[in-house]
Amino acid sequence: MISLAGRDIQHALGKFVFTGFGLGLLIGVTLTMAGVYRGMVDDAKVLLDNSSADIWVVQKDTLGPYAESSSIYDDVWRSIRSIPGVARVANVTYLTMQVRQGERDVRAMVTGITAGEFGLPGWPPQLIAGRQITRGHYEAVADNASGFKIGDDIQIRRNSYKVVGITRRMVSSSGDPMVFIPLRDAQEAQFLKDNDAIWQQRRRTGENPNFNRPGVPGLLDAVIDSQSTNAYVNAVLVQVKPEHNVQTIAETIQRWKRLTVYTRSQMEEILVGKLIATSAKQIGMFLAILAIVSAAIVAFIIYTLTLGKIREIAVLKLIGTRNRTIAGLIMQQAIALGVIGFVVGKITATLWAPVFPKYVLLQPLDSIIGFIAVVVICVLASIIAIRAALKVDPAEAIGG
Amino acid sequence: MQNKGIRIEGLTKRYGKGDTAVDALKGVDMQVAPGEVVGLIGPSGSGKSTLLKCLGAVIEPTAGRMILGDEVIYDNGWKVRDLRALRRDKIGFVFQAPYLIPFLDVTDNVALLPMLAGKPNTEARKQALDLLQALDVLHRARAMPSQLSGGEQQRVAIARGLVNHPPVILADEPTAPLDSERALAVIKILNDMARKFETAIIVVTHDEKIIPTFKRIYHIRDGITYEEAGDGVDLR
Amino acid sequence: MKLLPIKGRTLALLAVVVPLLILFIYVALRSGPLAPVQVTIKTVENRPLSPALFGIGTIETRYRYKIGPTIPGRLMHVGVQVGDLVKAGALLGEMDPVDLDAKIAAQDAALKRAQAQLREAQARQAYAQSQAIRYQKLLTAHTTSEELVTTKKHELAIAEAQLSVSREEIVRLAAERDAMLAQRDNLRLVAPADGLVALRSADPGTTVVAGQTVVELIDTGTFWVNVRFNQTHTYGLKAGLPAQIILRSHADQPYEGEVLRIEPIADQVTEETLAKITFTQIPKPLPSLGELAEVTVNLPALPSSPTIPNAAIKRIDGHLGVWKVVDGDLKFTPVTLGVASLDGYVQIQEGIDPGDQIVVYSAKTLTKRSRITAVDRLLGLKT
Repeated sequence: MISLAGRDIQHALGKFVFTGFGLGLLIGVTLTMAGVYRGMVDDAKVLLDNSSADIWVVQKDTLGPYAESSSIYDDVWRSIRSIPGVARVANVTYLTMQVRQGERDVRAMVTGITAGEFGLPGWPPQLIAGRQITRGHYEAVADNASGFKIGDDIQIRRNSYKVVGITRRMVSSSGDPMVFIPLRDAQEAQFLKDNDAIWQQRRRTGENPNFNRPGVPGLLDAVIDSQSTNAYVNAVLVQVKPEHNVQTIAETIQRWKRLTVYTRSQMEEILVGKLIATSAKQIGMFLAILAIVSAAIVAFIIYTLTLGKIREIAVLKLIGTRNRTIAGLIMQQAIALGVIGFVVGKITATLWAPVFPKYVLLQPLDSIIGFIAVVVICVLASIIAIRAALKVDPAEAIGG
Repeated sequence: MQNKGIRIEGLTKRYGKGDTAVDALKGVDMQVAPGEVVGLIGPSGSGKSTLLKCLGAVIEPTAGRMILGDEVIYDNGWKVRDLRALRRDKIGFVFQAPYLIPFLDVTDNVALLPMLAGKPNTEARKQALDLLQALDVLHRARAMPSQLSGGEQQRVAIARGLVNHPPVILADEPTAPLDSERALAVIKILNDMARKFETAIIVVTHDEKIIPTFKRIYHIRDGITYEEAGDGVDLR
Repeated sequence: MKLLPIKGRTLALLAVVVPLLILFIYVALRSGPLAPVQVTIKTVENRPLSPALFGIGTIETRYRYKIGPTIPGRLMHVGVQVGDLVKAGALLGEMDPVDLDAKIAAQDAALKRAQAQLREAQARQAYAQSQAIRYQKLLTAHTTSEELVTTKKHELAIAEAQLSVSREEIVRLAAERDAMLAQRDNLRLVAPADGLVALRSADPGTTVVAGQTVVELIDTGTFWVNVRFNQTHTYGLKAGLPAQIILRSHADQPYEGEVLRIEPIADQVTEETLAKITFTQIPKPLPSLGELAEVTVNLPALPSSPTIPNAAIKRIDGHLGVWKVVDGDLKFTPVTLGVASLDGYVQIQEGIDPGDQIVVYSAKTLTKRSRITAVDRLLGLKT
């Protein structure tokens, strides 16, 4: 027995390929939408991966440092360092802000890392160009997505920083590129007010008779000094020695230091479950609608293709072709259309994914699920066409 | 198989029910012997199409008997369970338009029937090519239907009707789109094939050019057939 | 009829399907987790390293004089403005003496009175002495009684005592007057050394408390940079090392300097080590006090040893190391780090040898099973 579907496809190759291509673009959009969702989740995960921490220590009862603001004293790390089983600790600050470079500015997450020692948590784990920060001040490592180049001078608050290294895929949970600067500078950038505010604060303090007593010289200066301290960080990142249990150490810190502590899995729960939950649902909704639209279009295409062959089907029936064979013809075509569409869709999605401003992650598993879904949708969609074909009266082939 | 052509006795067909019922066939008797080509002539609405559809096992008659070869296929009800297989194996169809499958080439258009009947592809193709040779279109065996002339298409269609060696072939206005020379050629082929394969052929037509070629003609009017002798002009 | 010969339609089908499949396979293999990771590879080589330290500091002076009154009072006048250069001993301002001058005048009068009393006592003593001498002679001549002579001697002793009382009274009054004059002098605010007026924090008429600064002088000859270094790198920092100072106000012009001393006490809050860097030559015009300065201290060059870019160093499972490329396969090799230089190179004490191939940059996090392709420059890098 010859393949009727194959012969038909061969016969109307151009029409078939064009239809498949159009369907492919639609499938490509659907795959990309899944990729956007995966990309968002991945953004959250790379943020955690890149910080290479086992435990996040944050302000008590906050969901910091990513989902909520958190500030703790910058000497807390010392007491955490002394807990048995803790391998490394590092202060870290995160601040999402506009980073200026020349005429333009880029939204970036400025991350303050403890400069000096190599491989501390919070450091960018790998670079694609340049070098790590070596000076304790005024150097920056920026992500490629920010568009900064090595040697650029970038402006963060009142200081200018030289870009010395470039990373890739170091982004915040909302996809903003990260810019790493030394912790001291980052603390200043985060907690130090702008000059006007400082002047106004000084004047306000100076006019307060409680702080500016005639008989007590030096009191005003002391008060102003104490107002402009910035001994805070957003979180302390902790790495645990391999042979120790992360959970136990997290509980120890939580209990005895009276700080809130998150482990890697809890942090992921916060980022994925809370921070990007709404956006994820939004995209999921869109994905569902796209899938339904795709299914409807596939059904429509197959139905139209079948209606175009109604006369041939009548003849086939008249000369004794079995229903099975006719259903097979339609279903095989539908599946072939789906396969072409999927291949085209996968190719287009992969080709245009890097052009998107935010990360689009196409996972092989998603592609496989997508492929199965496409085939299932095609099979289901062809059922309507098959019903129409089976209703065709063989008598139609005979004249009146 | 003892081939006895086709015989119809008292075939009636009623459309609808009660007051609105219409009798399209009112007791048709007909008999065509193997190797014989008869004409079936009648005006529109005479019940010609209904008779053809009943003969082709596409619609069910209301009453009567139909005997195909030595098998009673209808006796106030279908006696054959698989009408599709019946149509495939026992009845050949040739239509007004050739209705070839556009996406199959000439060989496969003809070979499709034996393939549907379960024959291996090579055997089915061999059978088809033999027939194409007999019908003198072997040189177009690899062409697609759209590349053929009207006459060639019709010959391929006849080949398709014959390929399973059915005891009866129903030809519905097979010469309508053809000029008189080609029409007569088609009738000649049908006659040759009827003789060669011992097939009973019923040609439904109102083509004046070919009516004289039949030796026997059934007129159908208001659902009743009248038999008369034809001129039987020798086509040679 | 055995096989269908290849027809145009079949060819057309192949022409569409085959490139599509090839593209599909390419796409599937070149992106996603199956794709090889782009890396740049560098050969480890021996090279000398010039380590350096980088710190941030502010301009300060070694000497700062805060001049104010020692007693509370009202400021009478201030004779200098900010920016004036003054010599040692110059009058900067003066406090209102209030009644001090009148007290001095009274003291003068009292002194004069005491001097008159002294003169009177001297006269009495002279008279008493002459009387005593005369009666002594008369006694010798036996013209007077012994008793009378004794009386005259007694009178002389009293007169002498009164004379010494008067003398001491003058000394006392003079001392008191001196004290008042000294107090009066103390109301004058005088420059203790040559310097620049940096601050004038009160104007005439202001009442100031004891110890409150009225004028601040700075010593322009002893500018230095109070610089903070990250503690992790300060090993090897010592006095006498050459340094380069860049002032924020003119970043393109570095100044030469020298480490004067390392502060024995580090800043506990900022966790930084403090040091003082002096200028070889004080910049002109003078920089503002408190101006930000970047200081690079060059440590002595180290002998040549295996050196790698710091971007190659990774921490995996708690160990610092590098990805070594052996026959195209990746192998994580722990290393012991030596000294690092500011331009991003690190000496390796142990773990790799010159000639080893190591991964410097990688497009993704590497694992032992990563497939890699070596490139000169990673794709997608903006230039």
